[in-house]
Amino acid sequence: MNWLRELGRRLNMLLHRRQFDADLEEEMRLHLELRGEQQVESGVAANDASAAARRRFGNPTVLREKSRSAWGWEWLEDFFQDLNYGLRGMARSAGITVMALLSLALGIGANTAIFTLVDAVLLKSLPVNEPSQLVLFGNGLDEGISDGFPNRWLYSYPFYREMQKRNDVFSDVAAAFSMIDKVHGFVQGRSEAEPMNVQLVSGTYFPMLGVQPVIGRAITEVDDRTQGGHPAAMVSYAWWTHNLARDPSVLDKKLTLGSTSYSIVGVAPAEFFGTKVGESPDIWIPLSMQKEVPPGFDGYNDNLFESLHLMARLKPGVSNAQATAEANVLYQQILRGFSGVPLNKKTLRELDETHVELTSMATGFSRLRYMFSEPLKILMAVVGLVLLIACANIANLLLARSATRARELAVRQALGAGRSRLIRQLLTESLMLALAGGALGIAFASVASRLLLRMVSDGRMPLHLNVALDTRVLLFTVMVTLATALLFGTIPAFRSTRVQVTDSLKEGRGQTAGSSRGPLAKALVVLQVALSLVLLVGAGLFVSALMNLSNMDTGFNKENVIRLRVDPSSAGYKEDTRMENLYHQIEQRVSALPGVRAASFSIFTFNEGTWNNSVWVQGYPEGRRDVAVHHNAVGDGYFAAMGIPVLAGRTFGPQDSATSPKVGVIGETMARTLFPVGSPIGRHYGRGGPDHAGDIEVIGVVKDVKYNSLDEEQQPGDYLPYSQNVRYLNDFEVRYSGDSAAMVAAIRQAIHDVDFTLPVSDVTTLNEQVARSITNQRLVAQLSSFFGVLAVFLSCIGIYGLMSYVVSRRTNEIGVRMALGAEPADVLWLVMRESLWLAAVGTAIGVPVALASQGLVVSMLFGLRPYDPLTLVGAVVVLLGMAALAGYLPSRRASQIDPMISLRYQ
Amino acid sequence: MHRDEIPPGTLYLLILKTLARSGELHGYEIAESIQRISNEVLQVEEGSLYPALQRMLIKGWVTGTWGTTAGNRRARYYQLTAAGRKQLAVELSQFERVIGAVARVIEAV
Repeated sequence: MNWLRELGRRLNMLLHRRQFDADLEEEMRLHLELRGEQQVESGVAANDASAAARRRFGNPTVLREKSRSAWGWEWLEDFFQDLNYGLRGMARSAGITVMALLSLALGIGANTAIFTLVDAVLLKSLPVNEPSQLVLFGNGLDEGISDGFPNRWLYSYPFYREMQKRNDVFSDVAAAFSMIDKVHGFVQGRSEAEPMNVQLVSGTYFPMLGVQPVIGRAITEVDDRTQGGHPAAMVSYAWWTHNLARDPSVLDKKLTLGSTSYSIVGVAPAEFFGTKVGESPDIWIPLSMQKEVPPGFDGYNDNLFESLHLMARLKPGVSNAQATAEANVLYQQILRGFSGVPLNKKTLRELDETHVELTSMATGFSRLRYMFSEPLKILMAVVGLVLLIACANIANLLLARSATRARELAVRQALGAGRSRLIRQLLTESLMLALAGGALGIAFASVASRLLLRMVSDGRMPLHLNVALDTRVLLFTVMVTLATALLFGTIPAFRSTRVQVTDSLKEGRGQTAGSSRGPLAKALVVLQVALSLVLLVGAGLFVSALMNLSNMDTGFNKENVIRLRVDPSSAGYKEDTRMENLYHQIEQRVSALPGVRAASFSIFTFNEGTWNNSVWVQGYPEGRRDVAVHHNAVGDGYFAAMGIPVLAGRTFGPQDSATSPKVGVIGETMARTLFPVGSPIGRHYGRGGPDHAGDIEVIGVVKDVKYNSLDEEQQPGDYLPYSQNVRYLNDFEVRYSGDSAAMVAAIRQAIHDVDFTLPVSDVTTLNEQVARSITNQRLVAQLSSFFGVLAVFLSCIGIYGLMSYVVSRRTNEIGVRMALGAEPADVLWLVMRESLWLAAVGTAIGVPVALASQGLVVSMLFGLRPYDPLTLVGAVVVLLGMAALAGYLPSRRASQIDPMISLRYQ
Repeated sequence: MHRDEIPPGTLYLLILKTLARSGELHGYEIAESIQRISNEVLQVEEGSLYPALQRMLIKGWVTGTWGTTAGNRRARYYQLTAAGRKQLAVELSQFERVIGAVARVIEAV
C-alpha cells in the first residue's frame, strides 16, 4: 500500500505543478536571503554577501531540475513538449504530412478491414460458455442427408441419443440439423408469409453450449422427448429486432410453419449466432418437431437418417485423445447394434476402416472457413506488403525532412540536448503521424469492412458475420500502428541524430551532406519497387485465373435465364401427385407467357449442392459399379430452358409419367464411362443396388455440364423426370427474351394465378449464379489488383520523391555541368538513369521473389501454368514504365535548370 | 577553516536526525543546524538539501507545512512522520554497521 500512497503524492504533485514550482522557488529564495543576511552580519560586504550565499548554495537551476525530476514526471513533460513541437513541424510541411497520412490511413485501414474479416471467419471464439471444451464429430463440411453407410460426418438422431447415453467422457452431447431449413412461415396475426431460417436442434443444444436467453427460456431436454409433441421455438435476437421490433411481449406470440403453430419460448442473446460461422438462424426448433417443419424430414426414429452435426463438451480433465478413443469404440458398438443397417461384407469392411475425428469447436465450424481461409490469408499478406511499402515511403519522406532539419538538430545538440532526447522527439513525431494515420485508418476500415462483407456475401449463401469494430480489432490496429511508427520512424531518427555537430553548423543552409542519406533512401526505394512487383505479378495472376474461369464452358447457356425458388412445402403441399400437378401447371402457364422460350422446375441448376450416389448398369458383372453419379430431377422443358444441347435420342415429354416405364437422360461422360461400347440409348441402369440395375432406361444423351464449380473435372451425371421422382424442387428456371424486370413480374403473376399462397423467393439469373460460384476468385482478383496498383503508385511517389530531392540537392552541380556545356538532354539522362537504375535493381530482386511466392497461391491459379511468363513480363513492363514516368518529372526539371540561377542558389 | 564534504549517502540520515532532534525546521535551519552541531566541519552544499527534501516528501518520511519565521517571513517547515522515524532507525543502524566495519578494518593490526 505504500507505493500506492507514494503514487498518490506524485499524482498530486503533477496536478499542482505550478504550486509546486512556486513553493520551491520561494523556499530557495528564502534560503539565499537568510544566508545573505547571515553573511552581512558576520561582516561580509553587502555586495559580496549574496554572491557568497549563491556559492554555498550551488546552481539553483540545476537544483530546481533535480528537485523536479525527483517526482518522476519529466518524461511526461518532455512528451508534451515533443508533441507540441511535432505538431508545429507537421503543420510547417503540410504537403508531406497529408501524403504520409493518406498512405498510412489506406495501409492501416486496409489491414484492419481484412483482419476484421479474418477474425470473424477464422479466429473469433464462439460466444458460449468455455468454448475450448467443445468438440465436433467430424469436420462439419458435409451438409444434408446421407444415405451412404457408414458416415462419420453426419449422424442419425438415434445415434445421437445412444452416444449421449453411453459415453462417460463428455459432460453432454448435442445435435443440430446439418442444414438450415429455409421455410416461409407466418407470424401470428400477419397474412403475409415471411422467409425464416429454421435450425433444428436437440434439447441439449442450448444447455450444453451454456447459452442463456435474454428473455424467456431456452429450448431444453423437455422439448425434445416425444416426436411431434413440442411446438416450441426460440428466436434470434436479430430476428426479434427486425421482425418484432423488440416487442417485450414476444413470449405471447406464435409462429406458424407448415400446419403447426409454435409458441415462442425465448430470445437468444444478441451475440449468439449459432455454432456455424457465417450462418445465423432466425429460429431454433427442437428436433422432435422435424417432421412438422417444412419440408418435413422424418428422421427422429430412423437409425439411418444421417443428417445431424454432432457436438459435445469434454468433461474437465478429459483430453481430446481420450474422448476420441471412447467415441470410436462407441461409434462401432452403436452402429453395429442398430437394427436395419445394411451389415454386409462391404459395409463391415468400411466400418472397420472408419475412424471418427473429434475436431475442436472453440471457434465454431464452417464450410466458409474452408472456402475463404486461403483467399483471406492471401489478402492479409497483400495488405501487409502494401503497408510496408507505405512505411518505406514515409521513412523516406522523414529522412528527406530530417536532412533539411540537420541544422536545427545540430543547433539543439550544441545547446546540450542529449541524443536520446532528440531520438525520443523524432520518434514521438513518427508516433503522432502513425496514430493520426491509424485513426483515419479505423474510419476507413469501418466502411471498407462492410464493403468487403458485401463482396464475399455475394456467394451461394448470404453471410451473416459480425464485422463491427470490436476491441480485438482495435487492439490489432493499435499494434499495427505502433509497428508502423517503429518501422518508418526508427531509421530516420537514428540516422538524423548522428550528426557531426560542427560540420552541420559550418555548412550552409542549401548544402548539407546529401550523400549520407543516399544509400539508405535508395535501398528503401528498391525495396518498394521489388514489393510492388511481387504484388503486381500476383494481381496479374489472379486476374488471368479469373478470366480463365469466367471463360470456362459450363455446358449450358447461362444468358437470358431467370431462376427463382417456389416453396410449395411452406404452402402445405406434400411430395405427391397434387404437387406434381402444381409444377406442371406452373410450367405450362409460364411457358405460354409472351417472350418465354422454355420453363422448367429442377432440383439444381448450378452450384447448389449435389445429390449423388452410385449406379449399377445392367449386364455388368457383379461388383462393377461404384461410379458416383450426379442426379437431377427436372421437368420436360429443362434442357431447352438451360440451353443444354441434346446429342442423341430424345428428352422427356408427356409420355413419361408416373405409370410409364422409368427413363433417364445421361451426360456424355456418363455415357462414355458406363456404356463404353455401342449406343447407350435403350440400355438400362439403376441406383440402390444390383437388383435395381434394370430400373431406368436411357432415352437420350446430352452435353456435359458443370455441377458445382467452374473448375471441377467433368463428372458423370443423369437427369430423371420429376413426374417419376416426385419431390420438392428448389429451382424454377425460365429462358426468356426481352426485359427481365417485366418478365420477373409476369412469372410471379403466373405462379400466383395457379396458387396465390405460394411463396416466391431468391429471384436471380443463371448468369448471376455462375458469377457467385467464383466470388472467392473475384474477390482476390479485384482486391489484389486494387492493392497492386496502389503499391505501384506508392512506389512511384517514392521514386519521384527521392529523385526530386536528389535534383534539388544537386542543383549546383547540374548548374556547373550546364555552364560547362552539358546539353539538357544529357542532364535529363543523368537523372533518368538513376531512377531507371533503381527500378531495374528493384525488379531484379522482385522477379525471383514473385516467382517463389507463386507456389504459395497455386491453388488459386486455375488454368495457369506455374510461372506464367505473360503475367510476369506484363508486370515488369508496367512497373518500369511507371518508374520511368515518376523519374521523368524531376529529370525534366533538372534539365530546365538555368545555370545562372542555380549557381547563385547557395 | 577546513570543511569536509559530508560522506555520500548520509544526507538523509543527517536531515532525519536533525528533524528528530528539533521538531519543525525549515530548509535554512536544517543546513545551519547540521553545520553548527558538527562544529562547522560538515559542509552541505546547501542547495542539495532541497532535492533531498523533495525525495523525502515523496517517500512520506517528512511533511512540509507553510508557516512564518521569527523574522515574519513565509517558510516551509518540515516535520518527521512515523515512516520517517522508522527510516531514521534503519539509516542509523546501517550507518553504524558501516562505520563499525570501517573502524575494525583500520584498527586491525
